[in-house]
Amino acid sequence: MTAIHLFDLAFRRNEWLGAKQAAIAGNIANANTPGFKAQDVEPFSDILNSTALKLVKTASMHMLPPAAAFQTTGVRDSAAWATAHSGNSVSLDQELVKSGEAQRAFSLNSAVVKSFHRILLSASKG
Amino acid sequence: MLDPLASALQSSASGLQAQSHRLRVVSENLANTESTGRTPGADPYMRKTISFESVLDETEGGAGVRVNGIGADDKPPRVEFDPDNPAADERGYVKLPNVNVLIEMADMREANRTYEANLQMVKQVRDMLASTIDLLRA
Repeated sequence: MTAIHLFDLAFRRNEWLGAKQAAIAGNIANANTPGFKAQDVEPFSDILNSTALKLVKTASMHMLPPAAAFQTTGVRDSAAWATAHSGNSVSLDQELVKSGEAQRAFSLNSAVVKSFHRILLSASKG
Repeated sequence: MLDPLASALQSSASGLQAQSHRLRVVSENLANTESTGRTPGADPYMRKTISFESVLDETEGGAGVRVNGIGADDKPPRVEFDPDNPAADERGYVKLPNVNVLIEMADMREANRTYEANLQMVKQVRDMLASTIDLLRA
């Protein structure tokens, strides 16, 4: 059923946006840390296309790497707006723009899920 | 591992804390712009500096920040001719703190801006959580 697949897609997209927001929050927190390189998550299209093997937790002592679902990668230097003398490549403007975009996409996704949920409800209620 | 949005809140909170430490150091420096020593020729208050370091928490999965250390600025103190001052040396010179008010003001403004950026991040994450919770109210 296509609608169920859509819910899965929206869920994964929102999960990815959450990971992106966590990376942005880390960047903003480290806006004044010397030598800190701005981080970003890999693009969503790569997540959708990837079939990479993931680590599995089989014992309670196993520790999964942070954000195991989405690998955070360093932003290429060309993508950074500015690099300070201390080697810090976080630009507050850029991070806030990215975070605003992520938040808008998140509410759009939630609105889409909501309206599809209404459709399903109206179908089941008759 | 925490939920990414919760770890975003953690990172922002650590940023807020780091910037408020920085603001505290700035206000200590500003409060002591004229703090001389008590005895003749004694060293005055030395300007304090603060530095940050990034910290990656495996359980939370986000990059936070913490205060790396509070140091002292080793710039030589200002010297002023004031023979009546109790801290004046035998030639009548008083050592005053090496605090430059303009630099402290600029530092304060920057800490303020970064604090606001962290707060903005908290607001965005809160909005995202609210839109998820709103799904239940459909």
